[in-house]
Amino acid sequence: MIAQAILSLLLCSVLIYAWAEYRRSPVVALMSLVASLVGLYFIWIPSHTTRVAEFIGIGRGADLVMYLWICISLIVLLNLHLKLRSQHEVITALARAIALANADSATEGAPLRSTKHETAKPATPLARDASYKE
Amino acid sequence: MQRPAVWVICPAFNEAATIASVVAELRRCQYNVVVVDDGSNDATRHVAATVATAVVAHPVNLGQGAALKTGIDYALSQGAEILVTFDADGQHRAEDIPRLVRALIEQRADFALGSRRLGQSRNMPFVRRVFLFAATLFTVATTGLCLTDTHNGLRAFTRRGAVALSLRQNRMAHASEILADIAASGLRYLEVPVTVDYTRYSLAKGQRTSDFVMILLDLFARKLHR
Repeated sequence: MIAQAILSLLLCSVLIYAWAEYRRSPVVALMSLVASLVGLYFIWIPSHTTRVAEFIGIGRGADLVMYLWICISLIVLLNLHLKLRSQHEVITALARAIALANADSATEGAPLRSTKHETAKPATPLARDASYKE
Repeated sequence: MQRPAVWVICPAFNEAATIASVVAELRRCQYNVVVVDDGSNDATRHVAATVATAVVAHPVNLGQGAALKTGIDYALSQGAEILVTFDADGQHRAEDIPRLVRALIEQRADFALGSRRLGQSRNMPFVRRVFLFAATLFTVATTGLCLTDTHNGLRAFTRRGAVALSLRQNRMAHASEILADIAASGLRYLEVPVTVDYTRYSLAKGQRTSDFVMILLDLFARKLHR
């Protein structure tokens, strides 16, 4: 009974989290909602896990719950990985903007550099070539 | 015929030992060179600043793909008409660049990709050869491009070609990503024989064969992610 109470409390907080998360990402919210509801159901009627487990060909109810847990963890990991990636893209864009803003083109002794003053000089060997343009 | 504005992009991470000679050779051949210092811990940035046309420095290390993209963005902002990517570790040869540029102009292509299978590779270890062959098979199978060498750092793009590249893969998977973008753009591409010199230095700096797994993971994540 003690374990059931603690687990129910934890799953209820997941329910609250799902409700709070719904606006930001409905898919994640719905998935956590379903997971916590299923969890609550199995906690209070544990005999059903065994029946479901037997129905789909897994020996014990505890095994079924463990397998489900592994699957859910993997999905969460994948989701975190994707979130990290998108965060990294933001960092990349930021770092690139900083790099380009601080571009150092004031090289000494570099006759071919194209700073703002020098782009006006068409005589450099690197000037645009009209014949190349289609 | 006069030459168009060619910008060579050299992504560099801790390449202080070789960057000066690599860039000096490119400058001797009259190319604009932008070195992208990818958050190096050594003097790469300062060494490069003495020889390169421009140095752009990432505040943190982001990876070669990100450095290429930064260099391309910079070169485009400077009015580049032809953009060349060139490894900073000294494995490429500056004298191969005119052939790439000429191929772009004469054959009206937007991408000219260096190929060491059409050209030469010196001192390439056997494991590297097998790895590259597998990578080529994989890329040909996934992009449908007809290529002999898919992971060569020496490439040339026209301005239009460079704009078509998205380059969102920060790390080493960018080589496959560039090819996927080329395939998606529908623009004309061709391969040009080039020589790649493998030295002890470039092999130590280059990818390890085990990086292949990470590249596959990156490409897979890219498929899931938008």
